[in-house]
Amino acid sequence: MKRRFHLSIGERGVQKDVASELAFYIDMRTRELIAAGVPPDQALADATAAFGNVGAIEAACRDERRRDVRSRAWRERIASVGGDLRYAVRTLTHTPGYTVAALFTLALGIGANSAIFSMVNGVLLRRLPYANAEHLIVLQQPVASLGIGDIAFSPLEVADVRAGMPRAAIDEYHSMSFDLLGHGEPRHVQTGVVSADFFRELGVRPLLGRTFADGEDQDGAAPVLVLSYQFWVDQLGADSSIIGQSFTMNDRQHVVIGVLPPLPPYPDRNDVWMPISSCPFRSSPQVKSTRTARMVSMVARLPDDMTPAEAQRRLSLVEARLHAAYPDAYKGVRDATITATPVHASMTDSARPAFLVLLGIAGLVLLVACINVAHLTLARQLRRQRELAIRVALGAGRRRLLRQLVTESLLLSIAGGALGLVVARVAMGALGQFASQFTVRADAIVLDWRVTLFALGIAIVAGLVFGVLPLAADRHDVVSRLRDGASTAGTGRVRLRGALVVGEVALAFVVLVGAGLAIRSFARLMSTAPGYDPQNVVTARLVLNFTKYKTRHDMRALGDQLLQRLQGAPGVVAAAVANEFPASSSQPRNLSLFSIRGRPAPDSLHQPKAEVNVVSADYFRTVGVPIVAGRAFTAADRDTLNVALIVSASAARRYFPNESPIGKQLSFNNGKSWYTVVGESGDVRQFGPAVDIPEQVYAPFASTGTNDVRVLIRESNPTALGARLIDQIVHSIDPQQPVIDVETLADARRDVLASPRETALLLSGFAALALAIAAAGLGGVMAYSVGQRTSEFGIRMALGAERASILRLVLAQGLWLVVVGVAIGIGGSIAFGAGMSKLLTGVPRSDPLTYAGVAAVFLIVAMLACLVPARRATAIDPASAFRAS
Amino acid sequence: MAGSDLFVGTLDVLILKAVSWGPTHGYAIGRWIRQTTNDALQVQEGALYPALHRLQRKGLLDEEWGVSETGREAKYYRLTAAGRRELRAEAARWNEHAKAVSLALSAAKP
Repeated sequence: MKRRFHLSIGERGVQKDVASELAFYIDMRTRELIAAGVPPDQALADATAAFGNVGAIEAACRDERRRDVRSRAWRERIASVGGDLRYAVRTLTHTPGYTVAALFTLALGIGANSAIFSMVNGVLLRRLPYANAEHLIVLQQPVASLGIGDIAFSPLEVADVRAGMPRAAIDEYHSMSFDLLGHGEPRHVQTGVVSADFFRELGVRPLLGRTFADGEDQDGAAPVLVLSYQFWVDQLGADSSIIGQSFTMNDRQHVVIGVLPPLPPYPDRNDVWMPISSCPFRSSPQVKSTRTARMVSMVARLPDDMTPAEAQRRLSLVEARLHAAYPDAYKGVRDATITATPVHASMTDSARPAFLVLLGIAGLVLLVACINVAHLTLARQLRRQRELAIRVALGAGRRRLLRQLVTESLLLSIAGGALGLVVARVAMGALGQFASQFTVRADAIVLDWRVTLFALGIAIVAGLVFGVLPLAADRHDVVSRLRDGASTAGTGRVRLRGALVVGEVALAFVVLVGAGLAIRSFARLMSTAPGYDPQNVVTARLVLNFTKYKTRHDMRALGDQLLQRLQGAPGVVAAAVANEFPASSSQPRNLSLFSIRGRPAPDSLHQPKAEVNVVSADYFRTVGVPIVAGRAFTAADRDTLNVALIVSASAARRYFPNESPIGKQLSFNNGKSWYTVVGESGDVRQFGPAVDIPEQVYAPFASTGTNDVRVLIRESNPTALGARLIDQIVHSIDPQQPVIDVETLADARRDVLASPRETALLLSGFAALALAIAAAGLGGVMAYSVGQRTSEFGIRMALGAERASILRLVLAQGLWLVVVGVAIGIGGSIAFGAGMSKLLTGVPRSDPLTYAGVAAVFLIVAMLACLVPARRATAIDPASAFRAS
Repeated sequence: MAGSDLFVGTLDVLILKAVSWGPTHGYAIGRWIRQTTNDALQVQEGALYPALHRLQRKGLLDEEWGVSETGREAKYYRLTAAGRRELRAEAARWNEHAKAVSLALSAAKP
C-alpha cells in the first residue's frame, strides 16, 4: 500500500479521488448484482439508482475533503510554529547569558519608549473628555508690545464678540479665590466663574445633581455651586448627600447643586464653580459697565461647518470694529488682538516640543539597544555555526533556518516588550509628575491599549531588526563554512560589527548631546545671579476676604499688626508683606504704564511700563535686595498722596539712562497724581532665571495696600518653624483667615526651574543608558576582535613586537570606530538640534562646549571599554597562540 | 441528503464498527451494513460516502490507497486511535440506551 501526503492533494486531486472512490462503489455493486443474476445492462442502472444522486453525494464528499485539507494545513502550520517556538525557548534557555543580556537591554529600550509614548499618547493623542472637542476654541486678547499673552475681556467686550459671532456658542469664564465657610474649618477655594451654558457647551455631564440651568447666571438668581470631582473627594470625602447643602461664601449662602466628573484642570485648577451672577466682582455695576474691566476669557463652541481659521477671521473683524468704536478702551493696549486657539492646542502646546524631543531621544536609545542586541546575536550565531550548518546538512532550507532565527528574535523581543511595559508602568507615576509641569492633561497618562500596541509594535520591529541584521553578514555559504571550520569568521562579519559600533556611537552621541545641552541650559539658569538671597526666607499667602477687608485702611491695619507681631518673634531677622516676591510667578502680573513728569507723553505703545510691587518697609532687607542709591522705605512712608517709590536699576537704566532717578516723579494715572522716586534697588530675576530682568517699581504697602498678601520672614537659621509661626500669628489676629501657599523662597526658585531641571534629568537618564549600552557594545566587539586576532598578535610578539605596541594597536582600532561614530554623531546632533532649540535658554543648540565635552566623554569611555580586551591581547602567550590555531 | 439526525448518528457508529477489523474500502463497509442490518436502514446507499469523509475530517478515520480484490485501486479506511475510542464510547451508549428502552417496554403494569 502506498500512502499519500494529505498536503499534496490539490483541488484537482480531491475531485479525482472522490470520483474514483464513488465509481469503484458502483462498479463493485454492479458486479454484485450481476453475480446475483441481474442482467448486466440492468445491473448498472439498478446500482446507480440504489446509490442515489451521484452528483450531490460527490459534491458533499468533496466539500468534506476540502475542509479537511484546509484544517490540516492550519494544524500543520500551527504545529510548525509551535515547534519553532519550543525550539526557540530551548535554545534560548541554553544560552542564558545571551538571553538575559538581550532581554535586559530590550526591556530598558522598549520600556523607555513605551513610557514616553504613554505621555505623548495621554497628553497629545487621547481625546479630551468633552463632546466634539475639536470644535471648542478659547478666545484671548494678547498684547504683543507688553509681552502679555492675555489681558482678558470685559463683559461688554464679551457681549460684542457674541454679537459678532452669532452662530458660535460663547461662554465666559474667569477664576477667583474665595473663602468657603460652613463645613469644618474655613477653606480657601479657587472658584471658576462661568456663564450658565458653560458645562453644557463642553458636553460635560455632572456626576451628581446638575450643572447650571438657564437663568442661573442672571442678576438676582439664587447663588449656587458646582463642586469639582477632586474637591468633592479630597475635601468632602465624596459625600453624596452634599447636594442641597449650603456653604457661606462672600457673606452669602450658596447651595450645592452638582458634582462634576473628573476633568482636566482646565482652564485652571478650580475647586468649585459658580455662575457669573454669584461672583461679587463680575456682577458689580462698575464691571458690567466699564469697557476696560477686563477680567474674563471666553470658550466658544463653533458650528460644525466653521473652522478655527474662519472663526479667527470673524474675530479679527470684531476686533477692528471695537478698536474703531472705542479708541479710549484700547489706550496703552492699542495692539491688542483677539485670538482663537483650539482648546486641545491651548492645553498641550507647551508640552509638545519637550515631549517630541523626549520621544525622539527615546527612539535613538532603542536603536542603540537594538544594535547592541544585534551584536550579541551575531556573536551567538557565530558560536552556533556548527549547529546551523548541521541543520542545513540535515535538509533544513535556508528559509526554514531564517524562520527559526526570526522566531527566536521575535520571541526574545516580545518578551522584552512585555518586560518593557512593566518598566513603563513603574516609570509612569514619575512621568505624570514630570508632564504636569507642561500641561493640564497629565492625569490622562495611563497604560492603555494604545501604549500596549505601541510596545508590541516596536518589540516586533526591534526583533526583526536585530534578528535579520546579523543575517545580512551571512553571505558565506553555510556548508562551506562548516567545511572551513567554525573558527574562521568572514571579514564581512568584522566589518558589519565595526559598522554597528560606529552606528551605536553615533546614535548615543546624539542622545548625549541632547542631554548635555539640556544640562548646560539648566546650569546656566541655576548660575544666573538671582539678585536676591533666597536662603532662610519663608513665605505664605493670604488672600483677604474682601467683605472683611474693604478698604486700604483695613488692609494696612492687618499689615501693621502682622509685621509688629512677626518682627518681635524669636529667630525672625526681618519680616515683610508684599503683593509678589521673586519667582512667585513666572510672568508679569502687575504690569503698569506710567508717565514721567517733565517729559512729553509718548505714543501709548512706547509708554514707560514697569511691574509694580507693593512692599512693606523691610521688604528689601527680608528678601535680600540691595538698595543701590537713595534710601529704602521706612515705616514713615505712609503718605497716600505723595507716595514714595523705589525703582529697580533696570528701570533706572531704561528710563533715566544718564541721570539719577532719585527725586524724579512718576504718575500711574495720566498725571492726576505724581509719586516721587526716593531710591534705586538692585535688579531682581522677578519671574525666575529663564525670564529677562524686568523693570520694576516698588510702592509702600502702607500707602497702597493689596488684598493678595504675601507674608515673608527671614530667619536667622534655617528652621521649619517659620511656616508655623506665620500660621499662628495670622490666626491670632484673624482666626477665619486661611493661610495658603506656604513655601520657602528657595523652593519657589526651584519650582520655576522644575521643567528645565526635570527635562535635563530625564534626558541625562537616557544619555547614561545610551552610553552604557554603546560602551558595552564597543567592549564586546573589541573583545571579539582580539579573540579573532589571537594568532596574529602571537606572531607579532614572536617577531619581537613590544606589548605596548600591541596595546596601541588594539586601542587604535577601537578609537578609530569611536572617532568615525562621533563624526557622524556630530552631523546627526546638528540635524536633531533644531528640535531641541525650544527647550534651551541661554545656550545655543550648537554649543561647542557641549559637543566637545560629549566627544571627550566618548573617547574616555571608549578608552576604558577597549582597555580590558587590549590588556588581554598583550597577555597573549605566543606559544599557546600558535598551538590554538 | 436522506436520513434523520438519528440515522446520521447510527450510520456513524456502524461505519466505525465496520472498519474496526482492519482497513476496509467503502463498498465493503456498505455491504457489511446492508447485510448485518438486513437492509433495515432504508436509505440511499451513496449517503455512506459523505459520512465517511466527515468521519475522516474529524480524525476518527484515516485513509490508505490500495489495490482491491478486483485489481482496481481503491481507497481504504482505517480506524484511528480516536476512532477506536469513539466506537467504544458510542457502542456503550447504544447498549445502555437499548437496555433502558427494553427494560421499560417489558415492565409490568404498576
